[in-house]
Amino acid sequence: MDMTIKKRSFLEIFTPRDILWTLILFIGSIIAWQVYQDEMDIYEVYILFGTALSAVWLGWYWRSFQTFSYVVTAISLLAIWMYARNDFDYEAQNDVFLLKYLISSQAAIMWMSFLVLVSTVTYFFALFRDSAFIYKLSTFIAWTAATLGFVGLMVRWKESWLIHPDYGHIPVSSLYEVFILFIVMTILMYLYYEQKFKTRAMGGFVMIVMSVSVLFVLWYVFDRQAHEIQPLIPALQSWWMKIHVPANFVGYGGFSIASMVGVAMLMRLAIEKRNPNNGLLKALPSHQIMDDIMYRSIAIGFAFFTVATILGAMWAAEAWGGYWSWDPKETWALIVWLNYAAWLHIRMTKGWHGAPMAWWAIIGLFITTFAFLGVNIFLSGLHSYGEL
Amino acid sequence: MSEQKKISKPSRKPNVWLEFLGSMNLAITLLVMLAIASVIGTVLQQFQPVQDYIIKFGPFWYEVYGSLALYDVYGAAWFMIVLLFLLISTGVCVTRNTPVFIKDMKEYSEKLSINALKHQPNHTQFAVAGDFEQQKAYATEFLKHEGFKTRINQRDDGSVTVAGLKGHWNRLGYFFSHISIIIICIGALMDSNIYLKYFELTGSMQAETRSVPLSEVDKRAWLPPSNFSYRGNVNITEGRDADVLFLPWNEGYLVQQLPFRIEVKAFRIDYYDNGMPRTYESDLLLYADDLDEPIEKTIEVNHPLYYKNYAIYQSSYGDGGSLVNMNVHALASPIVSKTEIESAINRHESLTTPAGRFRVEFSDFKLHNIVPRSEEDALATGRKMKNNGPSVLFRVRNEEGRAWEYENYMIPDEQEGRWFYMSGVRNAVSEPFRYLFVPADDLRSKKRFFEFLALVNNAPKADRIYRQAMPKPMEMERANYETHMQLMQQLVKLFRETGFDGISRFIETNVPQDQQQEVASFYFGQLANALQTLYLHVLEQEGVPINSQGDISETHQVWFEDAMTAIASLNRYGPPLFFEMTSFDQRWSTGLQITKSPGKDVVYFGSALLTLGIFFMFYVRQRRVWIHLKRNGEQTDITIAGRDNRKLPETDKEFEKLVTNFRA
Ligand code: HEM
Repeated sequence: MDMTIKKRSFLEIFTPRDILWTLILFIGSIIAWQVYQDEMDIYEVYILFGTALSAVWLGWYWRSFQTFSYVVTAISLLAIWMYARNDFDYEAQNDVFLLKYLISSQAAIMWMSFLVLVSTVTYFFALFRDSAFIYKLSTFIAWTAATLGFVGLMVRWKESWLIHPDYGHIPVSSLYEVFILFIVMTILMYLYYEQKFKTRAMGGFVMIVMSVSVLFVLWYVFDRQAHEIQPLIPALQSWWMKIHVPANFVGYGGFSIASMVGVAMLMRLAIEKRNPNNGLLKALPSHQIMDDIMYRSIAIGFAFFTVATILGAMWAAEAWGGYWSWDPKETWALIVWLNYAAWLHIRMTKGWHGAPMAWWAIIGLFITTFAFLGVNIFLSGLHSYGEL
Repeated sequence: MSEQKKISKPSRKPNVWLEFLGSMNLAITLLVMLAIASVIGTVLQQFQPVQDYIIKFGPFWYEVYGSLALYDVYGAAWFMIVLLFLLISTGVCVTRNTPVFIKDMKEYSEKLSINALKHQPNHTQFAVAGDFEQQKAYATEFLKHEGFKTRINQRDDGSVTVAGLKGHWNRLGYFFSHISIIIICIGALMDSNIYLKYFELTGSMQAETRSVPLSEVDKRAWLPPSNFSYRGNVNITEGRDADVLFLPWNEGYLVQQLPFRIEVKAFRIDYYDNGMPRTYESDLLLYADDLDEPIEKTIEVNHPLYYKNYAIYQSSYGDGGSLVNMNVHALASPIVSKTEIESAINRHESLTTPAGRFRVEFSDFKLHNIVPRSEEDALATGRKMKNNGPSVLFRVRNEEGRAWEYENYMIPDEQEGRWFYMSGVRNAVSEPFRYLFVPADDLRSKKRFFEFLALVNNAPKADRIYRQAMPKPMEMERANYETHMQLMQQLVKLFRETGFDGISRFIETNVPQDQQQEVASFYFGQLANALQTLYLHVLEQEGVPINSQGDISETHQVWFEDAMTAIASLNRYGPPLFFEMTSFDQRWSTGLQITKSPGKDVVYFGSALLTLGIFFMFYVRQRRVWIHLKRNGEQTDITIAGRDNRKLPETDKEFEKLVTNFRA
C-alpha cells in the first residue's frame, strides 16, 4: 500500500474546460457591466456579478450547464446581430427569415412549445418500448426545447428595449414571461436529475406538467395576445424583481418535478399490486430512487421558495410599505410553504415513504398551482398586475 | 430516525404537557391549521361592508361566520392562539432538541466498541501489511485529506480508533431554522396591532366612522406619537403639509399623530406612450423639532424616505383639488345663455336654473386621456394611441337627490374627419357612460350647436322663420297652410322632447296601422324640412354663403345630421344643462404611506437565520467515519465504518469510494 496521500493537482480538479468557462463568465460579466453601467444601479451590479459567480459554480457542479449556456448565448447573439443589421428595428422580426421563423423571441418560444409537446410523447414512447435510442432522442429534444425557451427570454429582453427604450426590462414581469421561465427552469432541473440518477423514465411524467403549461401559454397567446411586450408599472421597476421571481420558479419547478415523480411512483405501486411481472416495472426506477428524487426536488424547491418569499417580503416593504400585508399572493405563498414544511417534517422525523408522500406531493402541486395561477385568476390584491 | 428516539425518551421527569407541546404531531397539526386559516382569509374577502356579507351568505350564515371572526381571520383571536401554540411548540422543541444536537455535533464517538462499529450502516474489514504507527499516521492524514475532522482514541489493548466527523454544521441548521421561526413571530408581533386591540377592548380607544374635518374627529380616535408601531396613509395636496396619518380600523379610521411634519413641494407623474404611468414622485420636506434643517428628498415607488425608524413611501396619487372653470349652457332655453362657475375638484356648488336647483359635485380631473386608436386610424397615423386631452368628472344632483354623473372632455375629438365634443353620462357608477357627441362648427367651437338648439327651442321665432322661408302658395287654403305650420311646430317640439323614437312611438299609438308607414314618411319629411329651414337660417346668420336653391356644402350637410343625432339623444342626457370646461389649473395630491415598524429588523434577522438554517439542514450532510487499527503480527487489521445522518442512495457508493481511496 502506498502510504503517501496524493494531493490532487489543480488541473485534476478544474479541467481546462472549467477554466475557460470561468474566464468567459468573468470577462462576459465585465463587458456587460461596461456596456450597461449607465442603466444599472449598484444593486443591479451586485446582481450581475452574483449571477456570474453562481453560474460559474453551477457550471463546475454540472458541466452540461456550460454547453447549454454557450449554445444559448451563441443563438441569442445571432438573433441580436440580426436585429442590429436592421438598425435595431423591432419590426425586423417580420422580415428577416431566421428571426421570423426561428429565433425572434416569439418564434423561439413557439418552437419550445412544440418541442415540449413532442418530447412528452417521445419520452412515453421510449418508456413503453424501452428504447434507448428514443430515450436519447427525447433528452435531446428536451435540451433543445430548454435552449430555445431560454433564447426566447434573452431575445425578448433585447426586444423590449427595441420597442422603446422606456419599455426595456428583464422578461420576468408578466404572467406570460414567468410561465416561459417556469418551463425552462423545470426542464433544466429535470435534466439534471435525469443525468444524476441515470434514468430517463421520469421524463414523460415531468413533461406532462410542462405540456399543460405550454397549452396554457398557447391559449394565452392566441386568445389574449399575452406575448405583447408591455412596459413595467412603477411597483415592478425594482432590482428586487430580478432575484425574487427566478428564485420563486426554482421553487415551483422543484415542486412540480416532485409531484410528477409521485405520479410515477403511484403508477409503479399500482402495477406491482396487479402484475408484478409487468415489463414497465423494470423500466421505471426503484422506489428508493423515486423517493429520493422526490425528497431532493422538494428540498431544493423549499429552500428556494423560502428565499423567494423572504425576498418578496423585503421588496413589499420597499414598494408597498409593509413586509407582510396578508395580500392573497403572499398568503398563498405562506400556505405553500407551510404545506411543504409539514411534508418535510413527516418525512424527516416520521420517516414516511411511498404512496402517502407521493399523494401529498401531488396535492402539493395543486396548492402550488393555485398560488401561481389561481390567485391571479380568482383573487384580487396588490399583486393584481399578473391578472389574466 | 435515531435522533427521534432520543428526543422522545425524556431524560428527566416525564411531563405529559411538555411531551404534547413538543410533539411532532402537534407541530404538523398547527402548520396545517395555519394553512387552512390562511386559505379562508384569501377566499373569503376580508373587511367588506356588512351588507355585502349578508347578501352573500344570508343572515344566518353571516352570524355564524361573524362569530368565528372569519371577516378578519388574521386578526382573529383563535388565529393568534394557533400562532402562539406554534411558537410554544417550536420553543419546546428547540429547547429539548438543541442540547442533544449540540452534543451530537461535538461528539466523535471515538470510543465506540469494535462491535458497535460493525453495526454501523457501512462497514468493512481487511488486513494490510506495514508498520502500525505509519498506518495510524496515514489513517489520520487520510481522513483529514478527505475533509474530516479527526479524533484519536488509544485503547487499552493497543488498538487505535481514528474517528472522523464532517458537516457538523448540519446540526446547527436545525437550531437556526427553528429558532428563527420564533424570532420572526416575535418581530411580527412587535409590528402587529395587538396594543390597539387592547386599547379598544378597554374602551380607551374608538375608531371614528364619520367623514369630518380633523378638528371634529372624536378624541378617542387619536393615537399619540408614542404609539409603538403603525402603518397608515395620508393624502397631501401639492404645496400643503400634514403631521397625521389615517389608519383604517374596523368600519372607520384612527388618526395617528406623527412626531414630524411632511410638506409636499411638488408631485410629478410621467407616462408611457400607451398612457400607463411610468413613474410618479413627490418632492418632500420633512420637518422635525430636532432637525435644524428640514430633510429634503424626492421619493418614488420603490424608493422611500427613511427617517429614524420611520419610512415614508410613495403609494398613490390623485387629484388634489384642481381648479376648474365651467360654463353651464342651458339646453332648453329659447335663447343662447350660459352661467359661469369657478370651482375645484372635491368641492360642490349649488346652481339655480330655470330648470330647477341643482348641486354640482366635482370629483376628478384628468389631464390626459390616452386611448387606443381604431385600426384604420392607427394605420393612417402610424400611432396606436391618442390623447383625448383633459376631462372633468362630476355629478349633478337635483333637489330630490337624483344624480347623474358626467365625464366631459375639454377639447374636441376627431372621428372620420369630423370633430366632436364628447360628454359621457350615466345614472349609476356601475353603468358604462353613454356619450353625447356635440358636433363642432367650422371654428371647432360649440357656438353653432347652441345657436341651432336655441332656435329649435324657440317656437315663436321658428314659426317666423318657417313662414318666411315657406310663404303660403297662392292656391293653398289659409286653413291648410296654418295646419301645415302647426304640424311642423308640433313635430319639432315632439322631436326635441322625445327624439326620433318619440315620433315613431307617437305614430304607432295614434295612427291606424295600415296608414302608419305613409304617415311616418310624411312626418319625418316635414320634420327634416322644418329643422333644415332653421339650420339654413343659422348658417345665414353665421355668414355662410348659400345659393338660391338652398344648397349647402357636404360638410355642412354632415354637421346637420350629427346635430340631429345629438339633439335626438338630449332627452336621455339628464337635466337640460351642458357643462363646458373652459380652463383649469391642475393640483395633484400625493398618497403617502408612513410606517413605524420596529419589528422589521427582527423579522429580517430571523429570515436570514431561517435561510441559513435551511441550507445547512438540506445541503450539509453530517457524516462520520471510524478507522480502527489493530496490530495482528506483521499485519494491521483495519475496520472502517461509516454513518451518514441521512441515508441517501449515494451513501453506500461514497463509502466504497472512501475505502478504495484509502487502500489505493
Ligand atoms: C413553522 C414552524 C416550523 C418550520 C417551518 C419547520 C421547518 C423545518 C424544516 C424545513 C425541517 C427540515 C427537514 C429536513 O431536514 O429535511 C425541519 C426539521 C425538523 N423539525 Fe421543524 N419546523 C417548524 C416547527 C417545528 C416544531 C414545532 C418542531 C417540534 C416538534 C419541529 C421539529 C423538527 C425536527 C425534530 C426536525 C428534524 C431535524 C433533523 O433531523 O435534522 N419543527 N423543520
